[in-house]
Amino acid sequence: MQSHTKDFRQGAGAALSDPKIQANLEGLYNGFHQARIDASDQTPDWEALQDKGRAIKAHTLDNLAYYLEMVERNVIASGGHIYFARDAEAASNYVVNLAKERGIELVIKGKSMVSEEMALNHRLEEEGIEPVETDLGEYIVQLAEETPFHIIAPAIHKSRVEVSELFAEKLNVPMYDNIEDLTREARDQLRQKFVDAGMGITGANFIVAETGTVTLVTNEGNGRMCTSMPKIHVAITGMEKVVPSIEDLGLFLRLLIRSATGQRISSYVTTVTGPRGEDEVDGPEEFHLVIVDNGRSKMLADPNLREALYCLRCGACLNACPVYRKVGGHAYGWVYPGPIGAIVSPMLTNLSEAKDLPFASTLCGACKEACPVKINIPRMLLYLRKELTQGETYPEHKSVSMAESTAVKGWRASVSSSFMMRLSNLGGRLLQLPFVRGGRIDRLPSPLSGWTKHRKFPAIASKPFRTRWKNIGKK
Amino acid sequence: MNQTDNAVKASLFVTCIIDQFFPEVGEAAVRVLRRLGVDVEFDQSQTCCGQPAFNNGFWNDAKPTARRLVDSYEGEGNVVVPSGSCAAMLRVFYNELFHDEQDTLRRAQALAPHVFEFTEFVSDVLGAENREGLFHATKPMRVTYHESCHLKRELGVDLQPRSLIKSLPGVELVEMPQAEVCCGFGGTFSVKYADISAAMLNDKIANIQSANVDAVVAGDMSCLMHIGGGLEKQEAGIRAIHIAQLLDERI
Amino acid sequence: MTERNEFFNTIRQALGPQTEAPNLTGTGSSALGDNSDAVSARSQAIQAYIDEQSGPLMDSLSESATGAGWKVARFDDLDKAGDHIVGIVRDVEANLVVRSRQDVLESGIVEAWLASLGVDVVPMALGEHSEHTVDELRSLAERADIGITGVDYAIAETGSCVLIPSAQVSRLVSLLPPIHIAIVQRGQVLPTLDELFTIRRRDFLDGNLGSYMNLISGPSRSADIEYTLVTGVHGPGEVHMILVG
Repeated sequence: MQSHTKDFRQGAGAALSDPKIQANLEGLYNGFHQARIDASDQTPDWEALQDKGRAIKAHTLDNLAYYLEMVERNVIASGGHIYFARDAEAASNYVVNLAKERGIELVIKGKSMVSEEMALNHRLEEEGIEPVETDLGEYIVQLAEETPFHIIAPAIHKSRVEVSELFAEKLNVPMYDNIEDLTREARDQLRQKFVDAGMGITGANFIVAETGTVTLVTNEGNGRMCTSMPKIHVAITGMEKVVPSIEDLGLFLRLLIRSATGQRISSYVTTVTGPRGEDEVDGPEEFHLVIVDNGRSKMLADPNLREALYCLRCGACLNACPVYRKVGGHAYGWVYPGPIGAIVSPMLTNLSEAKDLPFASTLCGACKEACPVKINIPRMLLYLRKELTQGETYPEHKSVSMAESTAVKGWRASVSSSFMMRLSNLGGRLLQLPFVRGGRIDRLPSPLSGWTKHRKFPAIASKPFRTRWKNIGKK
Repeated sequence: MNQTDNAVKASLFVTCIIDQFFPEVGEAAVRVLRRLGVDVEFDQSQTCCGQPAFNNGFWNDAKPTARRLVDSYEGEGNVVVPSGSCAAMLRVFYNELFHDEQDTLRRAQALAPHVFEFTEFVSDVLGAENREGLFHATKPMRVTYHESCHLKRELGVDLQPRSLIKSLPGVELVEMPQAEVCCGFGGTFSVKYADISAAMLNDKIANIQSANVDAVVAGDMSCLMHIGGGLEKQEAGIRAIHIAQLLDERI
Repeated sequence: MTERNEFFNTIRQALGPQTEAPNLTGTGSSALGDNSDAVSARSQAIQAYIDEQSGPLMDSLSESATGAGWKVARFDDLDKAGDHIVGIVRDVEANLVVRSRQDVLESGIVEAWLASLGVDVVPMALGEHSEHTVDELRSLAERADIGITGVDYAIAETGSCVLIPSAQVSRLVSLLPPIHIAIVQRGQVLPTLDELFTIRRRDFLDGNLGSYMNLISGPSRSADIEYTLVTGVHGPGEVHMILVG
């Protein structure tokens, strides 16, 4: 997918000034965010689960080659095909070529964020193959020709009225005024697609190395459709989704599902190991697993960033983030928004182009608090900020303005000693003279004017604390 | 006031923002600590913990001032900081800043257990809530408590400020919705991403107003400068005060 | 270098020098460190436990399944369950019912129950058991009003039933019809997800994992529009769990 990360400010501004988007974002705090808190509070030993999940993820990624080779052996042993794609383009080529070779005209898709990295739908359409998104949120987003707004609920930015208008326009159906009718329309529209499609493409929430099993967590039933109806099933996933043993699934399913929606479990958990058995009544005859790198190896190689690969893609950090709850998913400009997106999107696309993403955060830590595997996102944001400013590990992405560097040098001088602090105090008091009224400044000059648009600014104290101390002294 | 030989000693790291913009908060903190029997010291060489530069990626520029701080407080006993974010800088983020400077790192790690945020010190160490007759009543007052992010999530301090507020006669603590949600300050974020910051601030102010209170109290002047600045612009008639001031008014 | 080797080479370079096989018995490591005997022992212990605790586990399942959105009914024996199922079929005025061929249903009881209603009952079967092709079966499941299955397991923690497709069990019988009725028998209930995956691991080590498995925990649902919960999106919107014993 093409990256628009450098348009973050524009995107954020557009979201902030759109009352419909603001209204729809309102629901996140009491919705998904609170649901996760309730679910984790009700889970005995939640923190122990988190620690164990994190330890297993760390172990798996530290030994990723070993476990991917195990996946490979077991997928092949179960009669499946496996393809290791170094990047999105290679992955797309594999899937498109497969579809062409098999004469596929219609593809049904379950939710796959990696397929968004690949802009797969676009590639299929170029070849005259029709891809149809079957997850309700993705279906809406596809009709609207937009990108997903949230990784769990892709169309959450759209009100029922907007969805109604969209369906009426694109599907030539009446304007429905309730959500049940809209859902039924989507179900009816997709029913025949499920029957006719020659290929089903899904993502994978987990890949079990021990058995070569792909695990899908869904609620709607479209994941089951995509893996039961068409003759070919292709699962696409990032290489970091591996867990070692099938006995690890219980733990990870609890962590993922309770963190994503607050449910104890999703309506469906589906495990796929190769194509259908010979005597089975139904199911695909062919199974392909596409495992994608696309820049993840860069994060793997950087000890400061490796833990970003522990991510279960639950969306909890998005729901917890006060910035995401104001600007929504489109502002981030690529596949992964929110706190984890602020690390992953720059690293998988272009760090300096995406420089707004690590900086557009107050480092409040709500994401770290929400993460089921305790990923320390603020620490990585600070690291990326350091990289963008000082360019040590990624010198080609060093991107710092002259103005800011100069300002920091000035700051550094002013804090270099108590004397310099007093001097700066004096200087500051002189500079502020034209602006101060009643101990407050109503308008700061640019580039600080952003502050006073919304707040009064205090005047610098004529007697700073350090001066007053001699009067307070040792009483 | 008599100082006994085994009076608790504490060195005040007043923080640059209080030093320069809100010295009265520093004074309030000193009075509270003294009233609790603390022998307060103030090292004049202190300047800044380095957070503004560190948070913006200028780690090399943050290091000199941070090193000076570690040097000056080494072996000095308790360091009390009336700011969650500055205390977190010393206790938590110096580990990041000095990750490649083994000697300083070691000394910062040795310093960390002696660094206390103000309410941690007043509540956990000095047990102020348990001292009979320590606080006197003034005019009845409704206040709500805003949870500064680093104080809550890096230092794990959320009970102590509330327990202190609740121990004040005549002061009613009213919880506001989303008390734990960031106010939107975030240092230079408030200027670089001013519109997002303002949107977050508006939510915070609306939540404060919904609690129908006379004041919002917090442990960080950075948050209070931002929230208070917004309240004043909107002429909301609600004070934004540091918890040291709230205690000082009644001690 | 082949594409595949290049892929692995990139990862190995990213990881730096390391031994070939990781230490699997360290702290925080996954269950992979356990050998086959340990898995067998656990599996046997589970079997003993679920037999001994079958009553309380059924109670627990009844509660969690209700919470998960199943319509739950419990009966002492299969005959009484049959009466209830007849009631459901009659209430929705079903014409066509498809069923899987687990042991509990193989004796023709569904046909017997529904005989008087004039409802077509089609076992989802291939080969000598049936005159239908795969496509015809799918079409029948498509048109069916109700799908009836047994289960391989049920899970008390989550209110789930577990269906493992095979020659006896179609993937579609519990997916395509708008109503799914699952019959759970005493002794099939596992306490939590963990027991299920231990048993499946034992199956895998015995060469018996199979290609597919579904955990079904309530009706098909979505909250994608305005966070509002709707049921019956692509899978069944009405699901009944019939507990027998």
